[in-house]
Amino acid sequence: MIRARGFGFEYAGSATPALRGIDFDVAAGACLLVIGPSGSGKSTLALALAGLVPRDLPGTWTGSLTVDGVETRDFGAGALAARVGLVFQDPSRQIVMERVEDDVAFGLEGRGWAREAMHARVPEALRAVALDGAERRFARDLSGGQQQRLALAGVLAPRPGLLVLDEPTANLDPAAARAFLARLAAVRDERSATIVIIEHRVEDAWPLADVILALGSDGAPIAFGTPETVLRDRDRLDEAGIWLPGTVTKPLPRPSESSLPEVSPASPASSRAAAVIEAAAVDFGYEPGHPVLHDVNLVARPGERIALVGPNGGGKSTLGRLLVGLLAPDAGTIRLRDSDPARLPARILARRAGYVFQEPERQFLSQRVRDEILLGLRPDEAAAAEDLMARLGMPLDRFGDRSPYRLSGGEQRRLSLATALIRRPEVLVLDEPTFGQDRLGYEALLEILGEHLAAGACLFAATHDERFAADIATRVIRLEAGVISRDEVVT
Amino acid sequence: MIRPQTIADRRASSVLGRADALTKLSIAFVWLIGLAFTTRPGPPLIIAGIALASGLLLGRIRPTDLLRALAPLWLVAGIVVLSNIVFGAANTDPLATEVAQVGPLRITMEALSIATALGLRVVAIASVGAVFALTTEPTRLVDALVQSARVPERFAYGALAAYQAIPRFAEDLTTLRQARRIRGLRGSWHPKLLLGLLVLAIRHGDRVALAMDARGFGSGPRTRYREVHWTVLDLALGVGAVISLLAALALVS
Repeated sequence: MIRARGFGFEYAGSATPALRGIDFDVAAGACLLVIGPSGSGKSTLALALAGLVPRDLPGTWTGSLTVDGVETRDFGAGALAARVGLVFQDPSRQIVMERVEDDVAFGLEGRGWAREAMHARVPEALRAVALDGAERRFARDLSGGQQQRLALAGVLAPRPGLLVLDEPTANLDPAAARAFLARLAAVRDERSATIVIIEHRVEDAWPLADVILALGSDGAPIAFGTPETVLRDRDRLDEAGIWLPGTVTKPLPRPSESSLPEVSPASPASSRAAAVIEAAAVDFGYEPGHPVLHDVNLVARPGERIALVGPNGGGKSTLGRLLVGLLAPDAGTIRLRDSDPARLPARILARRAGYVFQEPERQFLSQRVRDEILLGLRPDEAAAAEDLMARLGMPLDRFGDRSPYRLSGGEQRRLSLATALIRRPEVLVLDEPTFGQDRLGYEALLEILGEHLAAGACLFAATHDERFAADIATRVIRLEAGVISRDEVVT
Repeated sequence: MIRPQTIADRRASSVLGRADALTKLSIAFVWLIGLAFTTRPGPPLIIAGIALASGLLLGRIRPTDLLRALAPLWLVAGIVVLSNIVFGAANTDPLATEVAQVGPLRITMEALSIATALGLRVVAIASVGAVFALTTEPTRLVDALVQSARVPERFAYGALAAYQAIPRFAEDLTTLRQARRIRGLRGSWHPKLLLGLLVLAIRHGDRVALAMDARGFGSGPRTRYREVHWTVLDLALGVGAVISLLAALALVS
């Protein structure tokens, strides 16, 4: 079905190849799992299989990559779309039509299906992803997990011979991710399509795989084979920074006794350390009649490391923004030390609180990495910025002049973290900080966070990453439908 | 999965919601061209009334939604009326009938009536436009444009994608402004935001184009999941619209 021989690809304008020397075969109906550190060319391989490289993104092609015996770069656009279905990471970037059934039909229309066949196939495809009955709903009203399953229905509908999924569960909460992979497992068990899946969350995807391809950070393959044979080379894969099933990470040490809150986290009276953040009876909504948060109460002290967990849309990001004064509550009060963070001048707020947004790309304010990290810093902080970037694996002498938008997803995430960490704020709010990080990036992040937090800062991390929550949190707050459903100290 | 009927669904299943988008668009054009032939205040008032009434009754638009959609347009109409009263050319005509003298400003009957006519025309355009927008799903409009008006698919679907990205751009702007604040930068409406917005818009456009291509867009002749065809309903609406326009023009003369 798929055959790669000495396949490589280099984007136009790039100094190094994204992929090189790739050799592998995948039989029809089998499932290939592609793993590798961030920036190892996994997404490029997905685009090449779908024929979007070099057709849509130009570059230099070497060797051979064939699907059903035809070079993917030679496929006419129509012939290729008929054979390959591609699911991307972010559902909001692949849903084209407003209504669910129209979106599933979109791919069928493009492939010239007859109307009767479409009307029979659309409900079938929706049933395959457990979205039957949602035909006339607006796609934007679905949850993140449902949207991603809709995207899967859209590419499954034309019955592609090859299904390529590029980190399809990265944006989903753990329950939605498992639901998605369960639907995918059902597709695999039919064996009607060959599946290529790229995943960081290997624990859940591993059981699906018949064969595994591991790529190194230079875009060259490290290992290829069945899951068992690949794991025999575990040391080399570990060294490359790849997540493997059962990878153990070192949790942050518990903060010393004196800095821990004494009893119940919700009762301010019984504490030793003064609260750094206090929220009382906070209500918030973006539009009238649609409350996002309701009656939120919490007190956080220096040294506390709080994981904000809960399903997509539960209000985690909104709460984070309220706590550092990027939004103002509709009712109730928020105090950052003695002041209302929403009323603090930006200059002062930026020294006391840091916030890292879920999508790094949407928070970049400069066209070069160097300008981005130095933005708003005092001249005497430049050396520290340089040092921090080097420790995050992005030394400014190599990365300084690059565009933040052209970094890999993992690199973008680290740059956005650096912009907050460099100011050493006493309250740090991170929205999905481990998103797309390989093991080395994860460990570097944990280490740097640990140093910063040891100085007594208070951390809030909104996260779907159960490993990260377990590794850092001294306290877990669960938000569901805008209400705190659980708030407990973990030991 | 039981789905609550949304307001949008209620409108889409109404008489106006089921009518062809092109029918509604043609009615709007015929009405507005017809109104161009008169400067009397009556006809635009009647047309606006008919449009709003059919929006509420035939389009099942909630009155509050209609008011909200019209709010900014009332403001525009008000500005048009005021500026024409104050700056109307007739005010300098010595033969014109003077109504009032405010300081150095002379206001005449003629300027007043032209201003009213123009303002009412804006009201008519706004009412017709709001009812059209509230009862027409963008998807149906694109279907009608592509299938009946032979508008190129690339253009029509591109416009649809851009329309759907509007909420996303609003979020981009909010996030960028918050990012500036948390980095200690003053001026939450700094011109540099525009550059960031532009970069994000282009990148989003690239990604959507990539996703559409990956799903076989533009790879060959497309078939149609939703067929657009005219029905008796469209004929009835069209005839009704022409009769009401003629009546409005005749009645007042």
